[in-house]
Amino acid sequence: MTAAKKLMSVRRDWRERDVRVVLAALIIAVATVATIALFASQLQRTLVSSASSFLAADRQLEAEDGRPVPEPWIAEAVKRGLETGRMVEFSTMVLGNDAFQLVSVKAVSNEYPLRGELEIQGDSEGSREQIKHGPARGEIWINPRLLKLLKIGLGDTLEVGNRNLTVSGLLLREPDGGFSLAALAPRVMMHADDVASTGVVQEGSRVEYVYLFAGKEAALDDYYKWLQPQLGPSQEWKGVRDGETLSRSLDRSESFLLLGGSLAVLLAAVAVAVASRQYALSQRDTVALLKTLGLGSAGIGQLYLKRLALWGVTGMVGGFVVALPLFWLLTLLLGEALGRPVAFQLDSSALTPALLTAVVSLFAFAYPPIRRLKNVPAMRVLRSQPGETGREAWPDMLIALVAVFGLIWLYAGELSLVVSLLGGLALLLALLAFLGWILVAMLRKVRGGGHAWRLALVGLYRHRRASLSQIAVFAMTLMLATTLILVRTSLLDDWQAQLPDDAPNHFLINIAPDAVDDVAGFWKERGQPLDQLYPMVRGRLTELNGQPVKEVVSKDQRVGALNRELNLTWMDSLPADNAIVDGRWFEAGQKDGVSVEAELAGKLGLALGDKLTFTIGSDKVTEAVTSIRTVQWDSMKPNFYMAFPPAGGLTDMPATWITSFYLPRDRKNALNEFSRRFPTVSVLEIDNIIERIQEIVRQVTQAIEAILVLILAAALVVMAAVVSATLQDRQREGALLRTLGGRQSLLVRSTVLEFALLGGFAGVLGVAAAEVAVWALQFRMFEGAFSWHWQVVLPIPVISALILALFGRWQLSPVLSVSPMLLLRRLE
Amino acid sequence: MQTINPDSQRPTLRVENLTHRVSLETDTLTILKGVSLEINRGESVAIVGRSGSGKTTLLGLLAGLDTPTEGTVELDGSVISGLSEDERARLRAHRVGFVFQSFQLLPALTALENVMLPLELASMDAPEMRARELLERVGLGERLAHTPRQLSGGEQQRVAIARAFASNPAILFADEPTGNLDNRTGQDISDLLMALNQEQGTTLVMVTHDEQLAARCARQFHIEAGELTEPVTRRELTD
Ligand SMILES: Nc1ncnc2c1ncn2[C@@H]1O[C@H](COP(=O)(O)OP(=O)(O)O)[C@@H](O)[C@H]1O
Ligand SMILES: [Mg+2]
Repeated sequence: MTAAKKLMSVRRDWRERDVRVVLAALIIAVATVATIALFASQLQRTLVSSASSFLAADRQLEAEDGRPVPEPWIAEAVKRGLETGRMVEFSTMVLGNDAFQLVSVKAVSNEYPLRGELEIQGDSEGSREQIKHGPARGEIWINPRLLKLLKIGLGDTLEVGNRNLTVSGLLLREPDGGFSLAALAPRVMMHADDVASTGVVQEGSRVEYVYLFAGKEAALDDYYKWLQPQLGPSQEWKGVRDGETLSRSLDRSESFLLLGGSLAVLLAAVAVAVASRQYALSQRDTVALLKTLGLGSAGIGQLYLKRLALWGVTGMVGGFVVALPLFWLLTLLLGEALGRPVAFQLDSSALTPALLTAVVSLFAFAYPPIRRLKNVPAMRVLRSQPGETGREAWPDMLIALVAVFGLIWLYAGELSLVVSLLGGLALLLALLAFLGWILVAMLRKVRGGGHAWRLALVGLYRHRRASLSQIAVFAMTLMLATTLILVRTSLLDDWQAQLPDDAPNHFLINIAPDAVDDVAGFWKERGQPLDQLYPMVRGRLTELNGQPVKEVVSKDQRVGALNRELNLTWMDSLPADNAIVDGRWFEAGQKDGVSVEAELAGKLGLALGDKLTFTIGSDKVTEAVTSIRTVQWDSMKPNFYMAFPPAGGLTDMPATWITSFYLPRDRKNALNEFSRRFPTVSVLEIDNIIERIQEIVRQVTQAIEAILVLILAAALVVMAAVVSATLQDRQREGALLRTLGGRQSLLVRSTVLEFALLGGFAGVLGVAAAEVAVWALQFRMFEGAFSWHWQVVLPIPVISALILALFGRWQLSPVLSVSPMLLLRRLE
Repeated sequence: MQTINPDSQRPTLRVENLTHRVSLETDTLTILKGVSLEINRGESVAIVGRSGSGKTTLLGLLAGLDTPTEGTVELDGSVISGLSEDERARLRAHRVGFVFQSFQLLPALTALENVMLPLELASMDAPEMRARELLERVGLGERLAHTPRQLSGGEQQRVAIARAFASNPAILFADEPTGNLDNRTGQDISDLLMALNQEQGTTLVMVTHDEQLAARCARQFHIEAGELTEPVTRRELTD
């Protein structure tokens, strides 16, 4: 290798402390962003596909009028390259071994399910299998509870209308078994082609035809555009994005992960900026010499640009090398959480933000001080020139600030978040400048203590600029980490509060008014009291201020609530998790008015006083909007778009009652007795879904922990960068002290003490700032109430002092453990 | 590579009315005042004067490391004070060698690589062979792979001298080459410097406050508070 090449080689660079810091920081930044982006897209895919599996397809077309849809509709879908499938759903009595039972039949075609899996048990031994098809012709799969109800076993026959079907499996889970309130009675599943031969389904009987579609998003959208004008009022197109609960959890977790990621990138950016400035300063002699030896400034510029490019490549490659195993681990955990393997899939577009981070970090943080190297006067070889005044560094700061702002905006996507984050930092730094000054002044006055203590104080004071900036940086780090810990804790609490362990996991639907007391009594006797019972009336919103709603509300078909029957209710008091955002809740004795859910009100552009007309059966009810309220859709309790006052507009309408309650897994047998005593009440079991959501929450928490590790790593890299800035001074002082007879142990103790002091102060300041930042975040982002977090916050200054003491001991070990002679020589 | 100037009468280095001022925060400081001098090809010249008199500043201007406030410096026929920084760098790569008081070796490179560096920067042939040759010549044939940190001050200055002569410069500038060395070592280094200078026929411009060393040069310029006093030559003294 030639000398010039060697001078600029990465291998040589790597021996340069500052370069190691820059590279480490770049790697951490890239790794953080890549891990988060990869994981977020994986999470998105997984959740959408598991949400898709709630439909057993990407889209469903439901016909509620008891008639199949025209054949050409399906043919058109096939022609457009979509996968299709078909289901027929109806209720009927079946006959087992001398026992009748009302069941809810789902008859499926060969293609079912297009998405998701079924779980069945093919023999009584109890081994569960996951399969991707329904029963064959002539066979029927049944809910395990039916074994007792019908006194039959596997292999027996079941009479469905005119047809005998063989019970060939127990149906444990169907992908689309969960979220719809239309489910009835215990489920049986048979083949769609057997339906006709049962003779149960006739023209006009209560039967629902459901068509399944799957394929590319664009193709599905195109097909819907074609289909939409032909849809009748009882035909409904359903997509997964209506699955509110999951997509809400997903959005939250994503912005939370990204917030954590921004912090790591911010720290890495600081490290890159500090270290590259340090590096540029150390390169001035080399540049001056190269100029003297005849290298022009263009050549020097090129030299360092090449080097920067190499750093960039190293940072990207290194970052991905770190990110991939992390991502793999998280994906593995995700699979574990979901109870099924998740396809490990690298979304290459998710890497773009990571690459962008590397490039921006290099050019906005590392490059500016290095760019100025080519201005180093050659005269420097003869006489050290006046150094940088710091005025040149101002544009660097500006560039860096803009870049940081841009990057975090890119990740968080929310301006208010970026502003509160960076605002918190600015506040922190201003505060630190002030408090740091007081600290330094105070420490000077402290007398007494051992040699080490005095030396530590002297050290703090002598490097007061470094001390101040170290306190500032570490306090900032601690603030970020503490903020994350706090927000994470409160976010989790938030989630836990929404989905406590005894969150309702069963719905009871279709309770006849005169059975309400008996049903409530039944569960009370068994120690599983019901939550609030609500009356439910099915009706459509048909007119708005006297005009047909379909004309008034443009063609925005996303207002799904208009396409189907709504569940209307009446109640006298506002449910605890609802909140009035406009108007007033019904007063005692009030009989008019209707309360509308806020999002729907927003989409329809409703205001207080607007007159809504509902069509319920053959009746029409018109009421004015008296309040608008928010609803916790993911509360797993019955929620309603429209609420009337008791004895209000819904009086005399045919109502059934609905409620939810918690039933532990080991007591599910009680459902058998319940179904026998109340055959007409539908039981909706959603415990599987709840478990899944809880697992996802846990999973996201794990991902946040992984990000925390990256943040801490970034923080330590920042510290290393700042230590670099004082390293030379410290070496000189250490050598001097030891030459004058100071013992090594004294030097070690005073250094450790000095860093512990730094850490302690940084801890106190950081924690105080974190409380402020958390308050801002909770206020702006999570809409939570503020509270102090002493338990979390108190140990942090101590831990921080400890970490920094150890860190200082480690980072300064070359200063502390080397003989004074060698030190003097090295400094020459 | 060395081009022989056919017109030997013409001076290699001509300085006219050189004035250098630096602006400080409050006022401006005049470091050099109206310096004029001529140095001929192959001549060895010492610039002597007290510390702070402006020697280093003058050397920097002569070598084109800096540009004067007023006046011209003409090196090998081109007015370097009128050249751009990059043009001056190119000129230095091919025509000029340096020896510094503080050696200025790159700590990351071995002795051999330090000597190869200017050869590579000037795109010369077989840099390694030439560098080995020179290091042998300065008595460091056994220390090629050592880094500056593993060498004593005297040894480092030998490497620096080898580097200075590596690209066969027409003119060599030395700023207090023995300033950081003890007497004995300084003596050895000045012997080596003068000997190599003789062998290569290089023009030597040396700043020193070492009277003995200065006396070994053909001519001496005395500088005092930025002004040149009359040049004296050894020949004049001995005649
Ligand atoms: N860039 C500068 N800024 C301020 N003062 C300078 C600068 N360069 C040189 N000087 C001053 O000019 C004087 C001459 O310096 P120098 O040429 O280094 O002298 P010498 O090499 O003879 O000791 C000194 O007093 C020095 O402090
Ligand atoms: Mg000098």
